[in-house]
Amino acid sequence: MTRVFHIAVKDFKILIRDKAAFLIMLGMPLVLIFILGSALGGVGESESIDIPVAIVSVDSGEQGDVFADAIADVEELQDVFNLAVRDDLAAVRAEVERGDLTAALVIPEGFTAALEAGEPVQLEVLQDPGSEMTAGIWAGVARAAAANLSAGQIMRITAEGLLAEAGVTPGAVGDQGTGDGQVAFDAVTIEQVEVEQEKQVSMIDYYAAGQTGLFLLFGAMFGAFGFVKERREQTLARVLATPASKTEVVAGKSLGIFAVGAAQFFVLFFGTRYLFGVDWGPTPGGIVLIGLAEVFAATGLAMTLSALGRSERAIGGIGPTVIMLFAALGGAMIPVEMMPSWIVPLQSVTPVYWAMGAFLDLMRGEAFGTALAPFAAIVALGAAMFAFGLWRLKYE
Amino acid sequence: MADIVEVRGLVKRFGELTAVDRVDFTIAEGEMFGLLGPNGAGKTTTISMISCLLEPTEGEITVAGHSIREQQTALKRTLGVVPQEIALYPTLSAAENLAFWGRMYGLSGAKLKSAVEEALELAGLADRSKERVEKYSGGMKRRINIAAGILHKPKVLLMDEPTVGIDPQSRNHILETVKDLNDSGMTVLYTSHYMEEVEYLCDRIAIMDHGRIIAIGTLNELRDVVGGMDVISVSVGEVSEGVLAAVGAINGVKGVNRSEGTMEVLTPGSGSILGKLVATLESEGAHVTSVTVTEPNLESVFLHLTGKSLRD
Repeated sequence: MTRVFHIAVKDFKILIRDKAAFLIMLGMPLVLIFILGSALGGVGESESIDIPVAIVSVDSGEQGDVFADAIADVEELQDVFNLAVRDDLAAVRAEVERGDLTAALVIPEGFTAALEAGEPVQLEVLQDPGSEMTAGIWAGVARAAAANLSAGQIMRITAEGLLAEAGVTPGAVGDQGTGDGQVAFDAVTIEQVEVEQEKQVSMIDYYAAGQTGLFLLFGAMFGAFGFVKERREQTLARVLATPASKTEVVAGKSLGIFAVGAAQFFVLFFGTRYLFGVDWGPTPGGIVLIGLAEVFAATGLAMTLSALGRSERAIGGIGPTVIMLFAALGGAMIPVEMMPSWIVPLQSVTPVYWAMGAFLDLMRGEAFGTALAPFAAIVALGAAMFAFGLWRLKYE
Repeated sequence: MADIVEVRGLVKRFGELTAVDRVDFTIAEGEMFGLLGPNGAGKTTTISMISCLLEPTEGEITVAGHSIREQQTALKRTLGVVPQEIALYPTLSAAENLAFWGRMYGLSGAKLKSAVEEALELAGLADRSKERVEKYSGGMKRRINIAAGILHKPKVLLMDEPTVGIDPQSRNHILETVKDLNDSGMTVLYTSHYMEEVEYLCDRIAIMDHGRIIAIGTLNELRDVVGGMDVISVSVGEVSEGVLAAVGAINGVKGVNRSEGTMEVLTPGSGSILGKLVATLESEGAHVTSVTVTEPNLESVFLHLTGKSLRD
């Protein structure tokens, strides 16, 4: 057993001194995670979206301003919008046309009068055609406010009727500090539907999982390089001429590949977490379990590549092809939901697919138990590749 | 001395090719034994079978009483192997390399440390032990390559062409090292296609060609194969059958071979026939450009046995 350990330590030393391997296994994934996450909107995603919008009241009565202020004071809206209450409709319209404002809600002239008369009020939303989606969100806010306003009006009319029946004049209600409009506008809130919504994974989180899943497999390529190089340079033959058995040599080399992969995984895990703020979810134990399972699969793949490739050049051709195929099918590049249906049956043969699924589930807050089935699948795939490699491996 | 290496009826076939063909030899304990032959003669294949890297197709090998078929691990413990290639890890230092090979032979702790230091001293590289091997010259790499094979003090050292491609200074260092190791009691099996090295180092020599041992014995015994005759090599232009016949008829000539542009004449006394030989050649119209006389050596033995040069 000590020979196994010493072979593994030697391989670990050799691989971490290989600058090209170091760059590809650690440098490239970190850079790609940062670039892809940033480009696709990952970095800073947790901050407020800050969409510039305005509310303009051209109502000559006082309820228009009260309504505008009521909407502007809603905290939830402040988290999403950079909201300003304005009074110059022409200027606001020009800003929307220039795209400086995404949208504006216009409270029209006669708003107070219509409200007091119990008549319908038409609110207008000005929107930048180039920002249809965010402007649409603002229009939704306006509709929600209007709906609450309508409910307030019904309440007011009903209250007026009841007070009249009781011999109380409407003005007396206003005197008590609960003016009609005020009652209605206090009811304007963003409607929140309480549903069990799963946590969304940001793009940088997604690519942290994807690139980790992809680049752990590159460890396999460098492991296979090591094996073939030892075969070519006759150090493998020399080791086999010592009392070390073939089993010890294979075990030692596999342990070395696994150790390098495990170190790579932990660097990527902690690096993405602390450098880019990647949220790996509340169950790091599950993430580590899946990460190490994939490292095992990479070790199995290294054995297969060592058996299939007789030279570094051959492995340099076969390795990246297999790895990129695994990564693409497994969803490390684009989400599996976006792939055509005929690909689905192929996905289950890639360890990346299982690793990605488990990483994303755990990032969304799923329990540790959800990682067990993917763990078993990844280990089974790794064992199959290891067994195939061992069967076909040439020592001379 | 008892035999420490016994090779009996050794055969290795690769498909249709028979690389080693019924090879038999023994090596006594403490002996320096040479395997001489041109490239492709089967020397490396023989060594690979003794060091358990190749399984023999037929035959038996025992080293220190351990059979290659039944006691491989025990057999490997008694061996030190110095391969033809520089089988070291270039990105590890010399000390790291030696420590690794020592550990493979079960050394550890203080024993490993002193073995590594001793091996570095022997290689003359103690002061550069922390440098990566990739930064060494070819000769220095060769010396570490040898050091890696001996640091566990094996009973039998197998050396496969250990001086290929190095400068004369490093070659001399290596030859002296091998001699010292043998003087200290280590049995050495030394393969080479350089006859000077084998002549200089070895007590007994086996000459291989086409997978077979064609002669075996001490240097003197092998010289006797050619009857203690000198070889006169004459560089001439065209050599006709008439010229060959005229030279063969000279009194004292025991054999004549010709290869392209050269004629080799075997004779027990080169001094007595040299003048007559040149005169005969001139009279037959052959243009002599140079004449070399070689006393009996392994080259002439090989020439005598195979009709070709060791370096052909």
